[in-house]
Parts: sequence; C-alpha cells; structure tokens
Amino acid sequence: MSTEAGAARRGLSMLLLVLLCMAAASRPGEAAEPRELILAIYSVPKEAYERSIIPSFQRYWRQRTGQEVRIRASYGASGAQARAIIGGFEADVAALSVEGDVEQIVKAAAISHDWRQTPHNGMVAASVVALGVRKGNPKGIKTWEDLARPGIQVLYPNPKTSGGAMWDIIAIYGAGLKQAERNASGKKVDQTAAAETAAGLLKRIQRNVKVMDKSGRESVTTFERGVGDVIVTYENELLPRIKSGRPYDIIVPAETVWIENPAAVIDRNADRHKVRDVAEAFVAFLHDKEAQTAFLNAGFRPIDQSQMTNARDRPAQLFTIHDLGGWDLVSAKLFGPKGLWTTAVEELARGK
Amino acid sequence: MNSRALTVLALRATAVGYVVCLILLPLVVLGHQAFLNGVGQFLDDITLPQAWSALVLTIEMALIATALNAVFGTLSAIVLVRYQFPGKWFLNSLVDLPFAIPTLVAGLMIAAIYGPTSFVGAWVERSAITILYEQPGIAFAMAFVTMPFTIRALQPVLMELEPEQEEAAYTLGAGPWTTFWKVTVPSVLPGLLTGVFLAFVRALGEFGSIVIVAGNIPMKTQVASVYVYGEIESYNPRGATSVSIAVLIVSFLALLLLERMTRPPGERFFITAARAESRTP
Amino acid sequence: MRHFFILTVWLYFGVLLLGPILYLVLQTFGEGWTVFFSEITKPEAVHGFKLTALITGIVLVVNILLGTITALVLARQQFPGRTLLSGLIDLPFAVSPVIAGFMLILLFGPDTLLGTLFGAAGVKVLYALPAMVLATLFATFPFVVRELTPLLQTIGTESEEAARTLGASEWQVFTKVTLPAIRWGLVYGATLTVARSIGEFGAVLVVSGNILLLTQTATLHIYQSYVDFNYAGANAVALTLLATSFAILAVLEMARNRTTGRAAM
Repeated sequence: MSTEAGAARRGLSMLLLVLLCMAAASRPGEAAEPRELILAIYSVPKEAYERSIIPSFQRYWRQRTGQEVRIRASYGASGAQARAIIGGFEADVAALSVEGDVEQIVKAAAISHDWRQTPHNGMVAASVVALGVRKGNPKGIKTWEDLARPGIQVLYPNPKTSGGAMWDIIAIYGAGLKQAERNASGKKVDQTAAAETAAGLLKRIQRNVKVMDKSGRESVTTFERGVGDVIVTYENELLPRIKSGRPYDIIVPAETVWIENPAAVIDRNADRHKVRDVAEAFVAFLHDKEAQTAFLNAGFRPIDQSQMTNARDRPAQLFTIHDLGGWDLVSAKLFGPKGLWTTAVEELARGK
Repeated sequence: MNSRALTVLALRATAVGYVVCLILLPLVVLGHQAFLNGVGQFLDDITLPQAWSALVLTIEMALIATALNAVFGTLSAIVLVRYQFPGKWFLNSLVDLPFAIPTLVAGLMIAAIYGPTSFVGAWVERSAITILYEQPGIAFAMAFVTMPFTIRALQPVLMELEPEQEEAAYTLGAGPWTTFWKVTVPSVLPGLLTGVFLAFVRALGEFGSIVIVAGNIPMKTQVASVYVYGEIESYNPRGATSVSIAVLIVSFLALLLLERMTRPPGERFFITAARAESRTP
Repeated sequence: MRHFFILTVWLYFGVLLLGPILYLVLQTFGEGWTVFFSEITKPEAVHGFKLTALITGIVLVVNILLGTITALVLARQQFPGRTLLSGLIDLPFAVSPVIAGFMLILLFGPDTLLGTLFGAAGVKVLYALPAMVLATLFATFPFVVRELTPLLQTIGTESEEAARTLGASEWQVFTKVTLPAIRWGLVYGATLTVARSIGEFGAVLVVSGNILLLTQTATLHIYQSYVDFNYAGANAVALTLLATSFAILAVLEMARNRTTGRAAM
C-alpha cells in the first residue's frame, strides 16, 4: 500500500513539477525590467528602424530621462500585424502600411485616442508606388499599360495580407481613372465609364501576375530569385536594393499614388504596460528630423510634400488616396466581396 | 477504494482531460465559430469563388501528389525490400528524412533548386514544365512532405509476404503480372491504402513549403491553407473557420473511408482503435 | 526490368529529395565557412535556436509523460468514451498547422472567456511562449500515443500481472516491466515529436507575433532572413536545422530497428 501510494505521489509530483516549469516559463520574465517597448511594424522599413531609428530613439530617451529603454520589434505584413494586435498581441506602438489597418485596431477599441492628431495626420513616412524592372529594362516598360502586354510577368503581393499590395492595386486603379480622363481629352468624364476603364486595366494587369506573396518584402525576394519582368512595389523598397548593387532599374510611372504610412500608440497595451510616456515619445520621435532623415536615407520620401526638394522628382500625375475618395471608400470599392479586384480575379479564373 | 483503482482512475482522468483540453476544446470552438450563423451561412462561405477554388485545387493537388507517391512509393518499397544494389542502405535510411526536415526548409530547398536562377530550374523550365509558382510546384511540395508514408507503410508488409507464395504462383504457371496482381497486390493492399490515405490527409493541410513554392494567386495557385491564412490576417475569422472546417471534413471522410476499406469485418470505428484492437490477443 | 526499377527509384529519390538537399548545401557553402558561422552565431539566430530548443524541450517532456499515460489508458482500460478518445488522437494529424494556430486565437483571444481569465491573472498566452508551446503540443500529440498504443497491446498484460502477483507496486510494474518493453517505441515517438517541434512553422507563425529576440523561433528566423534578403542567413540556419534532421533520422533508424513487427507511422 505505502509503496503504491508513494509511487502515485511521485508520479503526481513529477507532473506538478512539469506544470510548474511550464507556468514559470510562461510568466513574462521581463517583469523586473522597468522599461520595455514593443513595436509592431510592417515588413518594409525594417532596416530604417533597426539600423537607425530605434538606436537613436534609445539614445534620445537616455539623454532626456536617464532611463534605458529596451525595444522589442516585430516585422510582418501590415494586415497580419493589425490582426495580431486585435487578437491580443501586446504591441505598444504600431507602424503600419495603410491607415485602414490602424482603423481596424481603432474599431477593436485597442486605440482610443484620436491618432490623427499629429503634425501629419498620423502619418510618419511617405513613398510612391513604383515599378522595378530588370537591369537595362529589356522589356521596355514605361507605363502601366506596358504591364498589361501579353507575355509580361508581373509581381505584387496579396492585398488580403499585404498593405503594400493594396497600395499597388490602388495605384493601378487610379492610373486607370487618369487614363480615362486623358482619353476624354478635356471633356467631362463620365464616372461609370472611367471606373470601367480602370477596372479593365486592373484586370489586364492581374492576368499577368505570376506570384502573389504574403508581404511586399517577400514579393521583392521572389523578384530577386529571377521570377517576373516587373515588380510593383514601394519606391522605398527598390531604392536601397539598387543602391546595394542589385541588377535592376526603377521606373516611376507618370500616374501613381502618394503613399502615406501611419504610426500610432496602442492605448490599451501602452497603459497596461505603463509605458505610455515612452510610446508617445516614440511616435513623436518618428515625426522629428532625425527619424525623417533616416526614412529619407532608407528610400522614403519626406512626409512633408512641400519639402520635396531633393533630386527625386514629383511624378507628373501624382494622386492621393483622398483624391480617390478616401480609404474606406477605395478599399470597399476594390477589395470588398464585390470589389473590382475581387471580381477581376474571379472573372480571370472563369476564363473571361 | 484501493490504491490500484485510484491509480487507474487518476490516469484515466489525466488522459481524458488532456485530450479534451488540447484537442477537443479547440475543435469545438472552431466548429462553433463556423456554424455560428447556421449551415446556410457556412455553405455560402465555402462556396465563395475564391474559397471554393482553393478547396478544389487543394484536393486535386493532394490527389496528384498522393498518386505520384503511391506509384513511386510502391516501386521504391518493392525495390528496397527485394533487390540488392549499391547504395540500398543509403536510400533506405533517407526515407524518413521528409518527416525530419522542417517544411519551411523543404520549401526553400525546392525553390532554390527548381527556381529560374539555378541551372537545374532553368533546364527543367526549358525542356519540360515550370514547377515553381505554378500548380506542379504545389503537387511537388506535397509529394515531398508525404514521401515516407507509402514506403514506410508497405515495407514491413512486403517483408512479411513470403516469396514462396509468389513462387508458388509462378510454378502454377502464372506470369509475373498475374502474380503481381493476384498475389502481391491483395496482400499489400491494406498497408498501401493506409499509407496513401494518410499521405493524402497530410497533403491537404500542408502550409510551410507550399507558401514558398506556389504562386499563391487566388483561384489559380492558392491552396486552402494559404487561403485560410489570408482570411485570418484580413479580419475574416468566419471565412477562415468555414474553409478550415471544410478541409477537416474532407480529411475526416478520407480517414473514415480508409477505416471502411481496411478494417476486418466486425471491428470498431476509428483507425487507432481498430488497429490496436486487432492486435489484442 | 530490374535495373530499370532500381534506376527509377534512384531518380525518384534524386529529384524529390537528394537534389534539393545537395543544392542547399552547395549554395550555403558556396558563400564560405566564415559567412556560415557568422550567420548562425548572430544574436537573432542564437536566440531562435534557444527558443526552439526550449519549446521542443517542454513539448517533449509533456508528450512523453501525458502521451505515455494516454497510451496506457487507451491500451489497458475499458470505459465509456474510449473509442471517441482514440478517434480524437488522430485528428491533429488532419488539421493544417495554420488552422491549429487559428484555433488557439479563437480560444484565447482577448474577447473570449479563457482569454479574459488568463488576462486577469496576468498570464500572456497568445503572442508569447504558452501559445507557441500549445500549438506545437497540438501538432505533435499523436506521435507518442500512436507509437505506444499498438505496442502496449502487442506486449499484452501477462508480465505485468505476474509482476503484480509477486507484489510489485504499480510504479514498479511500470518502470520495471512495461517501460523496458516499450522504450524503443517511446524513443521513436519522442524523436518524431522533436522533429516536428523543431520544424513547426505555420502554427507558430500565426500565434507568435514574431517579435525579434523574443518570440522568434529558428524557423521564423529563417523566414525573416529570407524576407530581409539575407539569403546566406536563411540558408545557414536552414542547413543547421537540416543537420539536426539527419541526427534525428539516425535516432529514428536505430529505434525502428529495435522495435519489431510494427507498422511505421
């Protein structure tokens, strides 16, 4: 009896030990560390953040308060990051690709302040949608229409996960609208006819898409594996790659969209972690000169459009998301269940 | 109550509790979410054009991969059991490797060698088919991760199968093909079916390697697991759960069919139970 | 005919398995040993290895303990619901890793009962170690149980009963009689568990949050390096995991040779 009971006890205590180990391992071990900031950032500006912005913010914070701040950053597709934050990923600050993703977090009540109350309407970085082609532009690609030519292989990621892909498709759509305007040559453009032209361009380009990756980053990776003739992506994604000697050229089409990337404090998490002051300082820091220079060096454009003085020209027919009717309208019109992109994909599959 | 009975009960409670918490509970939550708005809504969700074509593509590709492995796996098992040749031990010890390689690594390896930047990939593309980013890539990745199933399921059966039976058939005047179909096939069939069905079910859920080697274009090269991933990441839990449940139903039906085809009459329902019980003296 | 068959089998293995592996090896060492070593000793890579090892360790212990208990219960006990229990064992096998991760999100999300409960207790489940361990546990659960249940039924209960008649305690019966008989099956199941834990990607991708130096496992690090254009880094870590796979393979081989009369997987 005694030995058996002892055996059972031993077995049970062993089990308990394991459970205890698990519990111990699962407790956030950093509780002793006073200041830690968790960032959820979309995949593209990783180098700008890791190499300059984060270290210089840490320096800045040390000088201002004498505190050390440890920064934990996660990089992934914009939509995926937003989904994770909504689902409980305790990031204190989100720097995403599209305002729609920030709005989703607002809807889930994790952001409770008016995140647009900053110098640039909540936006911290800017860029345009550009085309990357192989060195010397062997396929002679200059305009969006060239992407729709038979036999051209196009890359952009999946708008379901990638904010970058949303920008890419918005650029194509907007370029289609501009095209309709041009065709009308000064006369008043019929709205429905213009939308049809745009949808047509979008569908003809989608037909040539070869790979749709999860994020803008992976799309460039695929391009670098030798797949595709053209990649549609952020200009800031292509510039550093060309600077580092990759054999491709960059083309900024005359009609393209002005991209603005937002950043915001996630109130729920920052308050829970008691780091609101650091989080707010970090977002403010992103608007400051030092971070803006870092973005500029990483291939972004200045968020202040009036300061666009350096060599890179303003595309002739640049448009913004507001010109197209604002984020909510455009994303519903393009990516909703009956959206233009969604139907284009479905029609292509049915061989139309 | 004596301590033996206590131990028995404690063990049973632990096992049942663990399985219920780890496996049943998540599945119940998933099913609840999928059928929250009724069966009609569930059917609407899975018949959305992109969802439906992802499901169909997944099943098609899994069937191709499984067929490929069934043919070459059977051949490999026969060759590895019956023939002596240089390098046999080497191949034999490699069979389990796909189970040991992380699927993401498998995807990277396949993408590296069969991509356009490698000489192999360029050559294959010129002379035969494009593997990477097209449908063959999906089937290829699925075939890679499920490669061991058929071989490992057949080898022990083939070893137990007495060569005498086949020789007896020969002496009775049967040709090699007749012998193969009449003697070899029936005796290895249960093993083969088990391997094939498990491979099929495993292929249905594959994600890590496919996400790298497929083009992932909706309605063209997007499989169910990648579709589900996209829906999860674009705030559409209902779409994600519905397709997840649909995949699970297909897997479950496949396992059930396997059960029907391989169980001796009068045996229990599920594989493990049936297989286990068939061994009970 | 015979030569043709053998050649076909070599081709099958070559195209599907050997070619890709050799190419990865060549590509990685084409960059040179120094690059390889500097890549796998980077803080992110080292952290990834450590985290993967930690998760694998926890999962291994839990699976060996609870997996053995579950197998014992399935093989030795009759009770209502036993069939259902044994049916559930196979299910993780049919669940895509992405879906497995997603179920955890549904279960532990901030608006759910469990999520609120753990949140109130101050325990982070999602986007932290517990969710990653749970996801891996889910995926690896069948391995030990599926190995041991048939094995336990094959060896029968005669020796165990004999030991009991001789006055051995339950614990002694288990350690002295049952365990030695099933130990190689246990090793086989445990090794498959290790392999799967190291390689888990889809489920962990969904539940980890992929925070650098915090919740980034070795496979997630490979993925991150790959999207950061650091192909040398991705290849180096991938090759390290591949080397681990070979070690695992060796253990599998050994375990398989020691257990006889058992269908694989």
